[in-house]
Amino acid sequence: MNARPMDHGAIAWVLSPRRLAGAYLEEIRCEALRLLRNRGLAFPVLVMPVALYALIALVVAGEDTARDPMVGVFLFSAFSVMAISMPALFGIGTSLAMEREMGLLRLKRAQPAPAGSWLVAKIACGLAFGLIAYLPILATALAADRLPLEPVRILAMSATLVAGAIPFCAMGLMIGTLFRGSSAPGYANLVYLPGCYLSGMFFPLPKSMYWQTPVWPQFHVNQLAMHAAGVGKFQFEPLLMAAAGAVGFTVLFSAVAIWRLARKG
Amino acid sequence: MNPVDPQRLHALDAVRGFALMLGVAFHAALSFMPGWPPGLWAMADNSPSPLLGDAAFVAHIFRMTLFFFIAGFFARLLHGKLGAAGFCRNRLLRIAVPLVAGWVLLYPLISSIWIAGITKAFGGNLPPMPEAPRVFGAFPLTHLWFLYQLLQLYAIALLLSALAARIDRSRKLRDAADGLVSAALGFPMAVLLLTVPVALALMALPTWYYWSGIPTPDQSLIPQPVPLVGYGVAFGFGWLVHRSSTALASLARYWLPNLLAGVVAATWLLLSLRVSPMAPPGFPANPLDLVDGTTLTKSGFAFMHGVAAWGLAMGITGAALRFLSGHSPVRRYIADASYWVYLAHLPVVAALQVWVGQWPLHWSLKYPFILVVSLVMLFASYHWLVRPTLVGQLLNGRRYRRTDRAPNPPASPSPALPPGAGRGGSAPVASLRGITKTFDGITALDSIDIQAHSGELLALLGPNGAGKSTAISLWLGLIEADGGDVALLGGTPQEAARRQGLGVMMQDVELPRELSPRELVRLASSYYTDPLPLEETLRRAGVTAFADRAYGKLSGGQKRLAQFAVAICGQPRVLFLDEPSVGLDVQAREALWASIRELLAAGCAVVLTTHYLEEAEALADRVAVIAKGHLIATGSVDDMRALVARRRISCESRLSVAEVGAWPGVLDARLERDRLHLTASDAETVVRRLLAEDPSLSRLEVREAGLNEAFNELTREAA
Repeated sequence: MNARPMDHGAIAWVLSPRRLAGAYLEEIRCEALRLLRNRGLAFPVLVMPVALYALIALVVAGEDTARDPMVGVFLFSAFSVMAISMPALFGIGTSLAMEREMGLLRLKRAQPAPAGSWLVAKIACGLAFGLIAYLPILATALAADRLPLEPVRILAMSATLVAGAIPFCAMGLMIGTLFRGSSAPGYANLVYLPGCYLSGMFFPLPKSMYWQTPVWPQFHVNQLAMHAAGVGKFQFEPLLMAAAGAVGFTVLFSAVAIWRLARKG
Repeated sequence: MNPVDPQRLHALDAVRGFALMLGVAFHAALSFMPGWPPGLWAMADNSPSPLLGDAAFVAHIFRMTLFFFIAGFFARLLHGKLGAAGFCRNRLLRIAVPLVAGWVLLYPLISSIWIAGITKAFGGNLPPMPEAPRVFGAFPLTHLWFLYQLLQLYAIALLLSALAARIDRSRKLRDAADGLVSAALGFPMAVLLLTVPVALALMALPTWYYWSGIPTPDQSLIPQPVPLVGYGVAFGFGWLVHRSSTALASLARYWLPNLLAGVVAATWLLLSLRVSPMAPPGFPANPLDLVDGTTLTKSGFAFMHGVAAWGLAMGITGAALRFLSGHSPVRRYIADASYWVYLAHLPVVAALQVWVGQWPLHWSLKYPFILVVSLVMLFASYHWLVRPTLVGQLLNGRRYRRTDRAPNPPASPSPALPPGAGRGGSAPVASLRGITKTFDGITALDSIDIQAHSGELLALLGPNGAGKSTAISLWLGLIEADGGDVALLGGTPQEAARRQGLGVMMQDVELPRELSPRELVRLASSYYTDPLPLEETLRRAGVTAFADRAYGKLSGGQKRLAQFAVAICGQPRVLFLDEPSVGLDVQAREALWASIRELLAAGCAVVLTTHYLEEAEALADRVAVIAKGHLIATGSVDDMRALVARRRISCESRLSVAEVGAWPGVLDARLERDRLHLTASDAETVVRRLLAEDPSLSRLEVREAGLNEAFNELTREAA
């Protein structure tokens, strides 16, 4: 079979809107396949948060959460933040770092890939996997009757938590652009784990450490969830500040990532 | 846009640096303010200083006005250079990112130092701290407020300039504004004109501590009207000065009268401050009553504050334009460092203030100590941690190497043969013209001219590190040349549309391990407007047999074929293949070659880099040899064959190098360790003559010159 002769005058230089949407969808599909097939990532990221939630909130602190339902809501929110942030951070951050090391981003820059399609795909998958990790926790909490809130509140809280993955997507991008392949998971943990504790998400902090909680994105996202749930007892900063914190971190992390990508590719 | 003399920009850079460094000195003085209650600043020193109090007051009058004036000037310069979108991107990176990142890093430091200092000032017990005002938008911006203010002013400036472009199509309004600025810049009109809006804004303040001048908007994210007017006027004036062609000259001319007016006004303010530290509430009953006896009323203070601020700001700028124009490495360094130094100074300065606050020493020892130690720390951190790193890149727009040198000027053109015209002399679909590229001072390509034509395969040959991959990266738009033109399909490779006609197989790229070749090709096909059918691509690349196996489980050769499939799926008009056959077995390589020939027959231009001469022989129409960044030969494959058909002859002989070197057929002759080394195009004739002329000749050796040898020789010739 012969090659199709090329009509040099007839190359359309720009993708039609339909083909453009197709390119984005294809990119998302491939990214999702990669994440699903990467068992080393998918299992801990999707299963660990719900397992920890069941262990801590229902077994270890089971009496406390039964006595003060709001403590139960707070713990639910804390583990949900963990669930939504891990795929965003580790899925995006480490895979991006590996891809940069493999030269994949250089290849994409040379190919006519739509601008930022890989980025859109990563963020979409980060959010989707966050949702997948969150739903079992929600189901567990509802089944164990640890979410004594109005349905509207639960819905608002769920939406907030899922959207709360965005700052962590940005954080993942930043880590993925700053560090090289194999060291990225280490650095991601270095940034991520202290935040889980120092933001006061998992256990109450002494008063002298309150000042530093705003430097952790986890704190702001958790606070947003507390506002969405309407749990006044655990609202430590005004809604506006929490939103500003979450948006601010997203902007900061994204800016670093974009700047770094523009320089290093 | 008027071109501004770069010499003058040096002066303005120096002024901006000065305004920021003055800020460090100002904050360093604030623990020595006489009469300030403990708690107002991080530390209340046990040796207050009236002199530092007055100096700080005077510095505070004008330093931010001066800063925003220069900022306005450079904002328009940048806006003209980058356009609105580029300007926004630039300012986001250089101002917004440092604001957010700086705040996140500095705020915890600053607040902990404040708590430590206030605890110390109150004898070890932290007094109850006043609650942060619970009003909408309240936010402790700290000294980074100036960045936030800048962002507001940039937004307003962009809005106004877009508006001006829309309603002032005939440019009459803007010409009138330019005329006004030029006419008003004489002394003392400019100072008075600029003073009026600032004075009116200050007068309207219900509670106004005279000392604070324009109230610092560091407690709220809501834009504050008085600073917006006060610093907006400065910024806008800077913007207009950049518009005007004569404004800088006027500023330089009237530097002394402006400065003197500022000094007189500042002195008067100082004296009046002794009488009354705070303005009576409300707008003055009669705003035209400027003095009460000899001391200033509220409106008088507001007016005189404007005169002092603008007199000093314009005087200092004018003096700099007059005396500091021209490049000075020291001033340049300080101006570059000042942004970082100012951003980072507050915790350092405050920590030192807290540390020395209760030492039983006079302020005249402690203040210089604070200043010197903090500046040493800040400049050292700049030099080693900022200037050569990404932080410096972010703040100053460029990163310096630790041992900074001027960029290498492009060397003279290499003595390459002019590249032959393509098939039928058609216009090239991809070309490099006069390309020079250096990496960290090492020249990767030096005045290279190469062209690729439709239906033609151009092989780039050369040893490792010759610059072949650099040439391909230039064509792909992955790097930019230092000099020369890169063309791809009638445009530049940076244009996304041009890349629709491009296919590429890169050397050190690994595709995602989890995906199969089929999925990879499907993804790459989705990028193109008119891709080949999926199965057809797989067939042509010879990957059908393993199309559904995960890429990570393929052999090295199979991976290369999968990459080749990705490269050809979009029916490219130009195909770049960087070492395509590395790792392929003979069969796979034959299949790859057949596929490449199909593409050539269809009119695709192929640029191929390779180590293997046989690959070039099998496919290439033209060959370009690159070595050490120089294009040392181009021509047909036959030309290359002639080049490589050279033989190396070596022997021990009594014949002299000069004599043998002159024989026909001898291209090169050298004597090394008593052995004669010859490079010959016609080895048989030369050997016959050698034996005939020197019967005692011994240890004769004749061998084919390898391609690498040919390269090396050519490189030596080229050098």
